[in-house]
Amino acid sequence: MPSRGLTFLVLAFWLLAAFATPPATAADKDTLVIAIDTLGAQVMDPIADTRAPHAHYHAPVWDSLVGFDLERGGIGPGVAERWERPADGKSWTFYLRRGQRFHNGDPVTAHDVKFSLERTMSPESIASGAAALRRAIERIEVVDDLTVRVHTRGVIPHFAASLSRAVFMEGSVMPKKYFEKVGEKGFREKPVGSGPWKFVRNVPGDRIEYEAVDYPHWRGTPQFKRLMLLLVPEQSTRLAMVRTGEASIASLGPEAIKEARAGGMKIVSVPGTMQAVYQFWGLYRPEAKASPLTDVRVREALSLAIDRQQIIDHVMAKQAQWPLPFATFRYSSDMDVARWDDWAKTALRHDPARARKLLADAGHPNGFPLTFWNTALPGTPFMVQIGEAVAGFWEKIGVKVDMKTIEWGAFDPMGRGEQKGLVGTASMYRTAGRPEPAPRYITTFISTGVQHLFGDSQHCPAICQEADRAYEAVVSEKDDARRTAATNRMIETVARSWIAVPIIEGMGYWAVNPKRVGFFKPIPGRHEFGDVAERMPRPEQKPWPN
Amino acid sequence: MQRYILRRLMQGAVLLVVLAIVVFALARVTGNPADLLLREDATAEDRAHLLKALGLDRPTHQQLLIFLKGAVRGDLGDSIRYRKPAVEVFFERLPNTVGLVSIALVGAMVVAIPLGMLAAVGRGTLVDRAAGAVAVLGIATPSFWLGIVLIYVFSIQLGWLPSARMGTPAHYVLPVITLGAFLVAGMMRLVRSSVLEVLDSEFVKLARIKGLTQTVVLWKHCLRNALIPVVTLFGVFFALLVTGAIVTETVFAWPGVGRLTYEAVIFRDYPLLQAVILLKAIIVLGVNLVVDILYAYLDPRVRYA
Repeated sequence: MPSRGLTFLVLAFWLLAAFATPPATAADKDTLVIAIDTLGAQVMDPIADTRAPHAHYHAPVWDSLVGFDLERGGIGPGVAERWERPADGKSWTFYLRRGQRFHNGDPVTAHDVKFSLERTMSPESIASGAAALRRAIERIEVVDDLTVRVHTRGVIPHFAASLSRAVFMEGSVMPKKYFEKVGEKGFREKPVGSGPWKFVRNVPGDRIEYEAVDYPHWRGTPQFKRLMLLLVPEQSTRLAMVRTGEASIASLGPEAIKEARAGGMKIVSVPGTMQAVYQFWGLYRPEAKASPLTDVRVREALSLAIDRQQIIDHVMAKQAQWPLPFATFRYSSDMDVARWDDWAKTALRHDPARARKLLADAGHPNGFPLTFWNTALPGTPFMVQIGEAVAGFWEKIGVKVDMKTIEWGAFDPMGRGEQKGLVGTASMYRTAGRPEPAPRYITTFISTGVQHLFGDSQHCPAICQEADRAYEAVVSEKDDARRTAATNRMIETVARSWIAVPIIEGMGYWAVNPKRVGFFKPIPGRHEFGDVAERMPRPEQKPWPN
Repeated sequence: MQRYILRRLMQGAVLLVVLAIVVFALARVTGNPADLLLREDATAEDRAHLLKALGLDRPTHQQLLIFLKGAVRGDLGDSIRYRKPAVEVFFERLPNTVGLVSIALVGAMVVAIPLGMLAAVGRGTLVDRAAGAVAVLGIATPSFWLGIVLIYVFSIQLGWLPSARMGTPAHYVLPVITLGAFLVAGMMRLVRSSVLEVLDSEFVKLARIKGLTQTVVLWKHCLRNALIPVVTLFGVFFALLVTGAIVTETVFAWPGVGRLTYEAVIFRDYPLLQAVILLKAIIVLGVNLVVDILYAYLDPRVRYA
């Protein structure tokens, strides 16, 4: 029978496959197993991946020059315990903690910081903020072993923040001596950092394994001996793994929260990880002149039509918050949070009667046709459901929405350059959780920004000029109090334009098996696991409150 | 025979060149990896810099020439995402898929052949109808849904099997069943119709006239002849599954080439996508070539046609 030979062949393949991939360590009580939807490029090198995957799987190994404010969110001490700017504001001096060391025993010094920043800026780097860093840094000076000074091109008030994983990823500190000894290939195969977890194994497409350092670490000394990040793209499977104990924690979307709770899992919500917004494109352009959207009353009406509480309750399973103005969060710095909290409660209310009146006043009592691009940025697929809800609310006040659901990779290029296909239309968009709003405002509103929603160099109406001035006042201001006032003015200009409007403040969601991990708090604004794993207790150390 | 093989090899080479050009063009129609890598606030300058770092700053025709020249030497470029040779990334994952698909295929044959035989022998009976129902169910059940149901029952409720990933032999059970369900259905219908055809042939009637028992007639004379199309299809199924087990690999977090293909598409990893499709095409062409050569060996009419 041919099947006999075939059986041998199959057995051979099976054995080959089984041994080709070393089996994962069985999930035991000493191993913290986290199932996540992406491991990005899965290359162990901080310059070889973008932000979100970096903060999942690089962060356990590499510390960042600037760290987190763990309680409030935003930036705090990191490898540098403090930093300062001189009066001219054109340089930043970072003072490193004493006694830090890499996993190979080498001390962490200012030379490593200089090397790391220069490597992150190198031509081969695809790190998210490499280009911004190249624009910002003029030169780097090692003052002494524990002091490094970065000279910037002009005043950059938010420079230190960009070196924290609270914002981006450019601050990862790599070991200069080790890298020079083993080269790039050797570094990627056997990476060494100074984080609380040492690299053990990288199995492409499957997992990355780490081992806890055996000494106290400033980020928190791990309570588990091992950490394993599993790549499990399907959400149902991730939840099943947490439920069966094959994984301790998994990332999930808001639509799965109910199911996770029913399965006995605990839900950890990370506040302020993103803000879902809608925005109008190219309204300043001559070809959009006849669009009803050029009337601010129409734009305000479209916001008043939206019942945000319904979206929070039903689309986001109550795991979302009322938003603040565009790209601002309750942990934001450089702004008056209490003032904008009050503003949001009133201005972003649901008032369909007022919406209809505004539409009628603007000459559109029966509504008007509106093209709406519904898309979701990577990592937040629920944006599409939010977009559908928004379209539904607009329909209720008479707007005839032509909704075009489009994959992000196809939509994103439309928003760059001429934006011809987008002029006079609306789209879903997102702002990621960041402590300082100004960098996001340049992208979206300033005439030289990528999206330049208010105007460009050829057509810059009054609001565009006002926003440009407001932004310039923010980024050139060295005094903190005056910069806060300038930021408030910038936020106000954008808020009363109703051109980019927040819908909800989203959260990151984790399902936790309470028999495998104890109670812990996430870092506000960051839904990635890389900086939290070392602070997760064992279940017996800190049981979950009922 | 040698001329026949040479002709088929040349046809295959031409097909690969055409495919390479089509894949190269189609990959670029859907977007650019730089758009997925860049920050929201990236400027045109940032984009240009990244395109250069990724080697995508040259004109498209130059990129195509570089790709084709490299392909001739067996160099299909470096994966944009994984930062290493695309061929290496593919072959890292291939054994995982081959192992899974092989077991699913053999498992499907072990179930489908007896079922098909029973259905053919008992044509029109309850057994035949039940087997038909199984076939319809197997074909109609989406792999995605079946996988999730199996995880729910056998991992969550009963706790008998791991819910996902590679590792021990137990990890193979659920994905093999998920892949195999579809195969069993198709194979069973094939065996049934094949056996029915053979049962009606002259040599079977002769065997019965000679007084051979039903068991001998069925399992020795009928089955061997009826299995020829099944064995032929084995190769086709194998190639199809190696290239198409995307859903099963995604549900069970199986690090195979199906999921790799999906990731390459989503991430616009041009070099990896090109490499994966070309290498899969080579596998399909190779399997087909072997089948054709076997046919030509068995039936001289084929090689002289």
